[in-house]
Amino acid sequence: MSTHYFFPPAGAYPLNRCLFQLKSDADYRARFLADPETAMDELSLGAEARAALRAFNRDPLIALGAHPYLVFMADLRLNMEREPAAFEHF
Amino acid sequence: MPLVAAVACPHTPQLLVRPDTEDRDLVLRVHAAYAKVKRLLAETRAEVICVLGGDHIEGFFLNAVPAFAVYAGASVSGQFGRYAYTFPVHEPLARAILEQGIEREFDLAYSQDVRLDYAFYVPLHFTMPEPALPIVPLYVNVYLPPQPTPRRCYAWGAALRTILDARPERVALMASGGLSHYPGTDRYASPDFDWDRQLLASLAEGRGADTARLSGEELDKAGNVELRTWITLLGAVGPGRAEVIAYEPSWHHGNAVVTWPLTGGGR
Repeated sequence: MSTHYFFPPAGAYPLNRCLFQLKSDADYRARFLADPETAMDELSLGAEARAALRAFNRDPLIALGAHPYLVFMADLRLNMEREPAAFEHF
Repeated sequence: MPLVAAVACPHTPQLLVRPDTEDRDLVLRVHAAYAKVKRLLAETRAEVICVLGGDHIEGFFLNAVPAFAVYAGASVSGQFGRYAYTFPVHEPLARAILEQGIEREFDLAYSQDVRLDYAFYVPLHFTMPEPALPIVPLYVNVYLPPQPTPRRCYAWGAALRTILDARPERVALMASGGLSHYPGTDRYASPDFDWDRQLLASLAEGRGADTARLSGEELDKAGNVELRTWITLLGAVGPGRAEVIAYEPSWHHGNAVVTWPLTGGGR
């Protein structure tokens, strides 16, 4: 990829939709943490996208067209739920 | 009433919800710089803060990606973890910016229904004077290519200054963003601090207009896609010499807090 932030390919829309909801929709994030398979069923995700979301590794997600920022912040928001004690609030 | 203040602030959410990965002393030094901005907003008796922010795919997803947008609702809310914010919006000013911007042939989008992004509320968390002021969120697309060109951002800023100077309110303009960082990419841990320092030196010499000649490719390469909000502000500021209140490079982010004196503005 020649640029860090690229036009999101149309085929990656369900994947980006999932990452967006993990980032910005607290109810969806809770459903995903409780039961990722059922939460992924809500979106028209392909098998590759589902596998990449299960593993949640940055590079394979981006290779499928995920927006890097969405990967980053979905991951942070999931970690804030999983390990709230790792964050100090001002 | 001519614009009363022009400032630029970072907004990385780690300044708000400090993960154990962050240098606490650095975070507190950035907070001290924010406090200086808060004092400036109080001393200049600002009545409304127009915030130029780059949405982090929060207010606008892929349903619509505006290059420039004005939030023109009655109030606006956003939330990050335990932090929840609602700000009143200065509706007459928001409408004036939108309507006069369109008249000046900037084809602005507008919304009365977005979730406010942390680009707006992180700096406001630390800089909002007491009693709190209404805001006008002004969106610049920074993360979803194709973004507006630096030249267009600068031109919009110059037009914005003309609109604001003719208003009765005492308006402060804040650009939120930057400097170098690469969230979500393999360069996250190596921002381009040299690029930032060259930029800040140039701004301190009053050469803000040079930013209009940057290319989108250069901004992406330097981890400065968010500089578009600063460039828009620079169009409003004109040739004034920047005062760099703080430049605090963390392991992932060039945190810069900058103010500008206000003279003629525009081009």
